[in-house]
Amino acid sequence: MAIKVPKDREVPFGAITPAPVRQQELFMTSNWRIVRPVIDHEKCTRCFTCYIVCPDSCWSYNEKDDQMEWNWKFCKGCQLCINECPADALTAVPELDFEDGVVRLEKPF
Amino acid sequence: MMQAFDYKKQILEPIKSLRGAPREEMYVPGHRTCAGCGPALNYRLVAKAAGKDTIFIGPTGCMYVANSSYLCTPYAVSWIHSQITNGGAVASGIEAAYKTMARRGKYDGPFPNVICMAGDGGSVDIGLQAMSGLMYRGHDVLFICYDNESYANTGIQTSPTTPYGANTTFTPPGKAIPEGKTLFPKDPPQLVIGGHPAVKYVATTCVSYPLDLMNKVRKALNVDGPTFLHMLAPCPKGWKFDEKLTLEMGRLAVETGMWTLYEWENGQYKYSHIPKTYKQVSEYMKYQGRFTHLKQEHIAKMQAFVDEKIQRIKAIAVEAPIPTPKAKA
Amino acid sequence: MAQEKMLSGCAAAAQGAKFAEVEVICSFPIRPYTAIMMELARMVANGELDAEFVHGEGEHAQVSVALGASAAGARAYTGSSGVGVTYAFEVYSPAAGGRYPLQMAIADRTLDPPGDFGSEHTDAMSARDQGWLMGWAATPQEVFDNTLINYRVGEDPRVMLPQFVCQDGYFLSHIADKVILPDIAQVREFLPPYKAPHPLSPLCPVSHGPQIRPDQGAPMDAQRAMTFLEVPKVIEEATDDFNRLFGRNYDPYLEKYKMGDAEIAFFIQGAHANTCKAAIRHLRDQGVKAGMVRPRWIRPWPTTQIAEAFSQVKAIGTVESSTSYGGATRGGNLIHELRATLYDMGNRPLITSFMAGLGGDVILLEDFYYMAKILMQMVKEKKTHQLVYWVGFEEE
Repeated sequence: MAIKVPKDREVPFGAITPAPVRQQELFMTSNWRIVRPVIDHEKCTRCFTCYIVCPDSCWSYNEKDDQMEWNWKFCKGCQLCINECPADALTAVPELDFEDGVVRLEKPF
Repeated sequence: MMQAFDYKKQILEPIKSLRGAPREEMYVPGHRTCAGCGPALNYRLVAKAAGKDTIFIGPTGCMYVANSSYLCTPYAVSWIHSQITNGGAVASGIEAAYKTMARRGKYDGPFPNVICMAGDGGSVDIGLQAMSGLMYRGHDVLFICYDNESYANTGIQTSPTTPYGANTTFTPPGKAIPEGKTLFPKDPPQLVIGGHPAVKYVATTCVSYPLDLMNKVRKALNVDGPTFLHMLAPCPKGWKFDEKLTLEMGRLAVETGMWTLYEWENGQYKYSHIPKTYKQVSEYMKYQGRFTHLKQEHIAKMQAFVDEKIQRIKAIAVEAPIPTPKAKA
Repeated sequence: MAQEKMLSGCAAAAQGAKFAEVEVICSFPIRPYTAIMMELARMVANGELDAEFVHGEGEHAQVSVALGASAAGARAYTGSSGVGVTYAFEVYSPAAGGRYPLQMAIADRTLDPPGDFGSEHTDAMSARDQGWLMGWAATPQEVFDNTLINYRVGEDPRVMLPQFVCQDGYFLSHIADKVILPDIAQVREFLPPYKAPHPLSPLCPVSHGPQIRPDQGAPMDAQRAMTFLEVPKVIEEATDDFNRLFGRNYDPYLEKYKMGDAEIAFFIQGAHANTCKAAIRHLRDQGVKAGMVRPRWIRPWPTTQIAEAFSQVKAIGTVESSTSYGGATRGGNLIHELRATLYDMGNRPLITSFMAGLGGDVILLEDFYYMAKILMQMVKEKKTHQLVYWVGFEEE
């Protein structure tokens, strides 16, 4: 009796997988969003609110440039950051206005 | 030989500001949770506060299925799936294993933070037995009930923490039952407090107050023995509100008295963010589709329930609130 | 220094766990297995065994605690009987599929309704498809030995499966017989410490059990099925080592009794096999060529070994101490797998089944004689008249 599992259907031993380190690349959610948050660095007071309220950790602080940085790969466009920013530094802009705007696929992935 | 043993436990310092919070993410981007998911933000803050020497137990629920689809997870620390029924028990087994392995010299790393992240169902409904067993036995485990007030992952069904009057797929309003849900919810922290002698610290949190939340997580982890956190995690899909309002819903819950922020430590209650004047519950309910079917008499019933809860708090001293991001004007 | 003691099955199981130096034990009381936990509690309290003794809040919790402990890298031990075994059912597949080699001692007991403390195999048998290793002991010595052998096989990196170590409630669990307890040094040579391949640890983060796509479900099942192809080799190695180190003489899979020239044979698991052997001696005195095959493992089912053992026999009666209501024979369980095992044999034997030892019944010598008479009639007429006989209930 020989069983051979096709490579694209393999499951690791005991369904045990390695932990991700900084991002889970196997589940990019960029194509979920309809709008993206655009930051006005002048208005931004570096209060770190956007950083703390994002469920997907899409805002991080770039020490070198003293600027908040946005993660294109994972932002779902929920607008929590836009809604919570106390300095009005964030605006929602339609995703497809951007050159690198992610096209909504017909299937989720 | 069984004897007292010095387990290498870390003491976590309080976080003084958002800027001062640890920058490392232990709950990383790349998960299938809804946009604006309250529980996901909650998980991120808990993981951030706990740090890298942590093991999470994830009973079945939104924070299992949505997070770990498919064959990948967003947890940068060790994590294990458990049944919705047994989060407390699996966490107990892990803690017991580390106790014995450390004592025998089989493991000499830092004693891990063992945290069970259970939904409301996995904490006080189907998971109640295991949660109580854990609390009773005194394991050094933090049991977290992330409360989105329904069995959300299966498509929003009522749970024991679903508020009175909520529309869920098991409590739909109709001609015979106009309010939808007729039962008032269980009070999870009260189930734990007073009845489990080994528990020394219980607290409630809300995602809208992230510093308060992270510091309560750290405090709970520092306490020896079992601890319980009841964490409000607004759910845009289940409560039917615009996903950008997740934190607004959390604030309104506190400002109307639907949710109370407090700590219970060694028999003493300490409250924070107590409003000078409470807003009417209708201020909270008007944003949420799960309440739009309610008539005046139902809302009045809800108000009476909350008023009674508030009365019990008014007598106790209020502690100075910890700094928190300002709400938009 | 090896010592000889008079121990019941329960006491023997507890000694097995002690010699295996289990690290996390999770208890919950239910008759008749409770004595195992009481014995272990005593050992832990006296410092004879350095283990965490966790008071589970129920059997479902017991297996869950053991699962968590095993995932973290500790050798975990638990047990139950009757409805306790069925209450924990949800966790059996997660334990096996997650590859956590915890051990569960089962002193079997009739299932409700209503309460019945007597022995019956149905409780454990109902879990046999969940992916655990499984087998019944026939003597307290074998209970002790199986405890060690099961950890050795279950924790082998080629296997990594949890184990049900079963014994008849009361007949084995509560009746004492001679047990030779070895030297701890011998045990340590036989059973290395448990090393989880990917333990839950802060030192090397892993995720145990993320959700899978439906198309990954079948491959997950296949992975679990393929493991059982590896298990026999490990059982053979372990049994050889065990025999060598401890001076026993176990066949890896089966106890074969007077099968050399047997014309009729019994297929029976557990302690009632001892009565069966006595009956066979009497039958042989009467000129009946009877024999017995007792499986020591039913998961993995020793297919080739059973086929070989029965290759010359003319009629077999399985002794069913478990029920399968509405099943093909309207009787028990063993007959189904035995018939499947022997179906392709040229000149295959006649096979019937005998419901006996249910509810706590003793199986008497007279019962075996009754069964033998039926088997001999079958041989004479070259025909199976009934697929199941309810011993003591059949109309004469």
